[in-house]
Amino acid sequence: MCAHHIGSYVAFVQYEIRVKGHLDSRWAAWFDGLSLTRADDGTTVIRGPIVDQAALHGLLQKLRDIGVPLIALTQLRPEGE
Amino acid sequence: MVHTPGVSDDRQANPLVETKLHIPSPRRNLVTRPRLQVRLAGAADAKLILVSAPAGFGKTTLVTSWLSTVAGDGAAVAWVSLDERDNDPALFWPYVLAALESAVPGLGANARALLDTAGAPADAVLATLVNELHGVNRDVFVVLDDFHVIDHHDVQEGLTYLLDHLPERAHLVLTSRADPPLPLPRLRVRGELLEIRAADLRFTNDEAAAYLNGAMGLALTAADIATLEARTEGWIAALQLAALSMQGREDVADFIAGFAGDDRFIVDYLAGEVLQRQPESVRRFLLQTSVLDRLQGSLCDAVTGTTGGKAALDALNRENLFVIPLDDRREWYRYHHLFADVLRARLLDEDPHAPAELHRRAADWFAGHGDPSSAIRHALAAGDVDRAADVAEMGLPELRRSREDATMRAWVQLIPEDVVRLRPVLAIGFVGALMSTGALDRVDDYLRGAEQWLALTPTARDAAGMIVVDDAQLRTLPGAIEMYRAALALMAGDIVCTVDHARRVLTVAADDDDMGRAAAYALLGLAAWSEGDLDSAFADYTDSIARMRRAGHIADILGCSIAMADIRVAQGRLRDAQRLYEQGLQLAADYQAGPLRGTADMYVGLAEILRERDDREAAAEQLQRAQELELFGTRQYPYRSRAVRAGLQLAAGDTAGCLELLEEAEQVYDTDFSPAVRPIGARRARAYVLQGDVNAARAWVRERNLSTDDELRYVTEFEHITLAIVRINDAPGERDLQQVGAMLDRLLASAEAGGRGSSVIEILAVQALAFDARGDTPRALDALRRALTLAEPEGYVQVFDSLGPRLSALREALVTGSARPHPKQQQGLVDPLSERELDVMRLLRSDLSGPDIARELMVSLNTMRTHTKNIYTKLGVNNRREAVRRAEELGL
Repeated sequence: MCAHHIGSYVAFVQYEIRVKGHLDSRWAAWFDGLSLTRADDGTTVIRGPIVDQAALHGLLQKLRDIGVPLIALTQLRPEGE
Repeated sequence: MVHTPGVSDDRQANPLVETKLHIPSPRRNLVTRPRLQVRLAGAADAKLILVSAPAGFGKTTLVTSWLSTVAGDGAAVAWVSLDERDNDPALFWPYVLAALESAVPGLGANARALLDTAGAPADAVLATLVNELHGVNRDVFVVLDDFHVIDHHDVQEGLTYLLDHLPERAHLVLTSRADPPLPLPRLRVRGELLEIRAADLRFTNDEAAAYLNGAMGLALTAADIATLEARTEGWIAALQLAALSMQGREDVADFIAGFAGDDRFIVDYLAGEVLQRQPESVRRFLLQTSVLDRLQGSLCDAVTGTTGGKAALDALNRENLFVIPLDDRREWYRYHHLFADVLRARLLDEDPHAPAELHRRAADWFAGHGDPSSAIRHALAAGDVDRAADVAEMGLPELRRSREDATMRAWVQLIPEDVVRLRPVLAIGFVGALMSTGALDRVDDYLRGAEQWLALTPTARDAAGMIVVDDAQLRTLPGAIEMYRAALALMAGDIVCTVDHARRVLTVAADDDDMGRAAAYALLGLAAWSEGDLDSAFADYTDSIARMRRAGHIADILGCSIAMADIRVAQGRLRDAQRLYEQGLQLAADYQAGPLRGTADMYVGLAEILRERDDREAAAEQLQRAQELELFGTRQYPYRSRAVRAGLQLAAGDTAGCLELLEEAEQVYDTDFSPAVRPIGARRARAYVLQGDVNAARAWVRERNLSTDDELRYVTEFEHITLAIVRINDAPGERDLQQVGAMLDRLLASAEAGGRGSSVIEILAVQALAFDARGDTPRALDALRRALTLAEPEGYVQVFDSLGPRLSALREALVTGSARPHPKQQQGLVDPLSERELDVMRLLRSDLSGPDIARELMVSLNTMRTHTKNIYTKLGVNNRREAVRRAEELGL
């Protein structure tokens, strides 16, 4: 997304986090602009580039703090691979 | 004195501290949960009670309602509500200790005093705390609420240590959204862990019914309750929100059906329902004030730009709308964390720019209400780094005055380096904090940077973007820079360089820069003292104090008083030293702004003088006074108070007790840059000698690498005198005694030249011992007579008594006019009589019977007989009459 604007030094990695329940799209800003997709199985997928492990843990902490149950965390392959 | 990190002098009356230690009152509309209360009844057997579950599961509520019952049973509760800021051992432990103090007055006082000593190891603080907890004869529960915000390794390590050493009746209670990295498996195996987890906390169907229909007064059917319970999975926050949305609603069944069937994130959905049911003004209030961690009427007014904040908060509290009171006066509140996050997400979604503006307003309010730390955090949250830096710069003088070093270190962490570099005043302000953390690279960076700014013309400074918000501080910068350079040199042990920079402070600092000049004089005094130039040192400290008085800066004066009294004692002017301490106490008594730091040290100083004069009872009394004020001791207090107590034990003949205290003193040894002229190791060596443990004393000599040929310096004078004492008591040969004698001559000449009266007295007394050991009684008595003559006007006693029984014997000889020969010189005896045997011998010459002699010597008859038998053997005789005759022949 915006990774190439910041510079090639920063190696963003795409992550996908699946949580239980449908999170309204208004939470997108809270999660720093990551995309929220609501699935038919009653889960929400939060997807987007995450700068490093610290940011990933920060994100997980935000989810923990609003009490959303975590189901799965996946690192996506970089595009083109 | 130069720089004393650690204590904040205005610990009291800080609303933040008060709200953090406030034990939340049990909520209204509470559902009693007997099944959990039963499990918690076993808490008294557990070391750790862990309540671990996600947000909104009623962890804090459970703990408060449980603890309100144990408090009735006489248990003490210490409570700390943690937040992200506390993730720093320098802030965390003071809160824990303050909470303990408010739970059990006096508890943790020693640990607190230790903690205030910069550089005191955390282990020692916690070990002291454990000791103090052992002394409490009731259950103490230490609650750390929201422990998940703490992930600092040192804090976790400290807690692990604490858990391993907690006495039986002390318990740790943690509430957390994540399991803490403590050795839980080990505790579990030992049965020392009581866990309450999410599955336990979820409301059961019955509890949900009791809550919804009972506490909240809704009339729901069993089916509705079952639906709600299933949909919320017993998540208490969700049930609460549901209850709030249903109150006064006609279509309850529809409402339940409306959200039972879908997958929406339930707390968000229900919070939306609750918000929607509020008047627009309340909704706006909730959203706008959600940026605040703590809520207060006028603060809310500032943030919302309206009035009525106080009334709004009270109304929210009455309606149970997720505000939690943080004090008993209903002044400060906070939102329930989960609810606050939901509000903040909504606020951000409605207007992405709103939070920044609201944070900016909050920053202004806090800056104007004497809480720069909160102002800085809000300014940073607003993305306004410059505003944060401005607030920090303006807040520096007050922070320095109140010595809140941990706070200063937190600011250093918060404000980015490149922002600081453009601000020489801020940079130099941070240098002190950086020095205390040992970040010397950055110290050098900031000092150089500031020097470069100052070298530029005003126009060039503007062009290069230099920022100064406090011009008054800018004027003091050249002096401050030299001051820090001097302090750096002092830390590196470079006295010449220290003096150099301190002198330059006096050149470059403005004439009215009293604080800069005061610090420079104090440094010059320190340097002169370290070199043994006592008169100059005393004069420099006098100048320093005069400047501090002019600046109205009383807080550091007592630090100088300690140094000056030390100097007077070294000069042999005990009465002058006593007067300085008494003046210090008068100053403290006149000081309006609360107890003055160093007050405790004044009492310790008086105790030391009384100890020297052998007025032990009065000395103990002064120590008692010191202890009552130990929170207001300097960094030196912990070791100095222990050293005096050690001296009193020694005077009472308890060398083991003395050594124990000296070991403690060594652990907390911190002279605050004063020269270590009476190091603890040497005092220990002297105690070993008295104990008869010459090996241990010899080991100290080796460790210090001391020799009678050493070049003599003032700072090692005490050690060299100690060396002489050790050697004289270590079966010396004639050659040893010659070497010791030569060193003592040099020591005496040096002490006399330097005007160090106390040393002169002591050296003469040790010389007496040395002559005596060589059998030169006349010269021994001569030296001792000189010492006693010098000692008499100031009342020295212990300097002689602490040198052991042989010196006492020599004093006696001076009085009676006849010298008893040194045991070694008892001619004709292979095995000379001991001191004690000589005492018995003296009485054998009298008319006293055996039992009378035993009584006179305060020993048992058996012991007396053993002594008598030994005497007979050594003298080669068989009865008392022969013994008396033989003793006369030998001149014993």
